[in-house]
Amino acid sequence: MSQFQLVSTRLTLFAAFLAAWAILPKVGILDPRLLPPLGDVLAMLGKQIVRAQVQEAIGVTALEVVVAFLIAVPLGTVIGVAAAESDYFGQIFKPMLFYVFSVPKSIFLPMFILTFGIGFPQKVAYAAFSTIFIVIMSASAAVESVKADHVLVARSCGATRSQILTRIYVPSMMPVLLETLRISMIFNFTGVMIAEMYASRTGIGHLISNWGENYQMPELFSGIVLLSAVAISFNEAVRLLEGRVSRWRT
Amino acid sequence: MRLPSPATVRWGLLVLLLVLWEGLPQTGLVPELFLPSLSKTLVALWAQREEYFDALLVTLSEVGIAMLIACGAGILTGALVGGIVTLRKLMLPVFSSLYAVPIVILYPIFTAWFGIGSESKIAFAGIYGFFPVMLSTAAGIRTIDPQYILAARSMGATLPQQIARVIIPASIPTVLTGLRLGGALTIIGVVVSEMLTSSAGIGYLVSRYRTILDSAHVFAAILMILLLSILFDLLARAVERRTLVWQTAGRQSRPGAAGSSPAVPAPAPV
Repeated sequence: MSQFQLVSTRLTLFAAFLAAWAILPKVGILDPRLLPPLGDVLAMLGKQIVRAQVQEAIGVTALEVVVAFLIAVPLGTVIGVAAAESDYFGQIFKPMLFYVFSVPKSIFLPMFILTFGIGFPQKVAYAAFSTIFIVIMSASAAVESVKADHVLVARSCGATRSQILTRIYVPSMMPVLLETLRISMIFNFTGVMIAEMYASRTGIGHLISNWGENYQMPELFSGIVLLSAVAISFNEAVRLLEGRVSRWRT
Repeated sequence: MRLPSPATVRWGLLVLLLVLWEGLPQTGLVPELFLPSLSKTLVALWAQREEYFDALLVTLSEVGIAMLIACGAGILTGALVGGIVTLRKLMLPVFSSLYAVPIVILYPIFTAWFGIGSESKIAFAGIYGFFPVMLSTAAGIRTIDPQYILAARSMGATLPQQIARVIIPASIPTVLTGLRLGGALTIIGVVVSEMLTSSAGIGYLVSRYRTILDSAHVFAAILMILLLSILFDLLARAVERRTLVWQTAGRQSRPGAAGSSPAVPAPAPV
C-alpha cells in the first residue's frame, strides 16, 4: 500500500469510529447513559470550556505540568549525562536506576501527600519525581548515541573542545533529546493527572474524577476528549520536529 | 586511594537507606508523620497481618485475571499486527500516537460502567498491561531474521510448522520482555485503581490509612506493593534468562532505555 492509501485508510477508520460513536448511542444500540453520543459530548465540551471554574482548573493543571517539567528535565539530564560520562558513577547508579525504574511510582503518592499536603507543591513534586527517572535514562542513552568515530575525526582535524561539543555532541544528541522531551512530557502529564485524581481541590484531573463519581457522563467524556486531544497534538508536534532534526542521519 | 567497587557502593547505599529510614524518624529529624521508622512500619504490618493478607489476596486475584486478559489479548493482537504487513503499517503509528494519552484518565469511565468492585480494576489493569504485550509481540514477530523462515520454507515446512518451529521460538525473547513489562503494569494498574476508588485490596488500604493519617500502616502497605513488584520482576527475569539460553544471536540493547531499541516500546508512565 502506498503512503497515500495508508493515510486515507487510517482517516476512513477514524471517521467510522467517530460515526459509530455519534450514531450507535443515539439509536439506542448502546446505552446513551453509559456512552453519551459524540454530538452531546462536543456540545458539552463547548459549554464547559467557557466556564470560569473549568478555565481555572485548566490553568492550574497547565502550570503544574510546566513547573514539574522544568524541574525534572534539567535535573535528570545532568544526572543522566554524568552517569554516561563517568564510568564509575555510571556503574554504581545504572543498575540501581533500572530497579527504581521498574518500581511503580504511583504507590509513593501517599508519601507526597503526607509530606506536602494536597496542594500545588505536592502535584509538582510527585510529577517531577515520576518523570526524572525516564529523563536520566534517556539522557544517558543520548550521550551514548554520540559516535566515538565522529569525535575522533573531529579531534584529529584539530577541533577544539567547544567545537566538538557544538558540532558533534549537540547534533548527534538532538534527536534522542527531543524524544526524551516527548516521552518525559507523557510521564509528567500522567503524573499530574494521577496526583490530581487521587487527592486534590482543583485541576482538570480533579474535575474528571468528580464527574465520574457523580455519574455526569457527558462532562466526563468531554474532559477526556479535551485532554486526549491536547496530549496527542503535543506528542505529534514533537515527533514532527524529531523527524526534521534526524533527517541528516539517514 | 583505590575506590571501592561499584557493587560494594551499591550495597552500602542500600544499607545506608535502611539505616536512615530507621534513624531519621527515631532521632526526630524527620517527623514520624512523614516517615515512620522501619521498625514501626514492620510492627504495624505484623499487627494487622490478617487484614493485609486478605487485601493481598484480593489484589492478587485481580492481578491474575487482568494479566490473563492482557497477555491473551495482547499476544493475539500483536501476532496479527506483527504478522500482517498491511495491518502493521496501518495500525502501529496509531498505537504510538495513542501512547501519549494517560490511560489513568479513563478510569472514571470504568468505575461508572463496571462499579467500584473488582470488575473495574480488572478491566482497567487489563488495558494498562495490554499495550506493552501487544507492541512487543508485534516487534518480536517483525524482527525475526527472514533467513530462518526462508530456510524453513525451502526445506518444505508447512505454514503451521513454520509457526510452531520458527516463528514462536524466535519471537519468544521479545514476547517475554513484553510480558514482563505488561505484567508489571497490570500490578500497577490494579494498585492505582484500588487507590483511586475501591472498597478492597492493598491500594485501598493505602488510601484508607492515609486519610486517617496513620503513616505506619500506609508505609506497611507501600512496602508490600514494592516487594510484590520486585518479586514479580525477579521471577519474570529468571524465566527470560532460562528461555534465552539457546539464543546465541546478539540481542539488542536493553529495552526501556528510550531511543536504544525502537522495537520494544518504552514502558508506560505510572
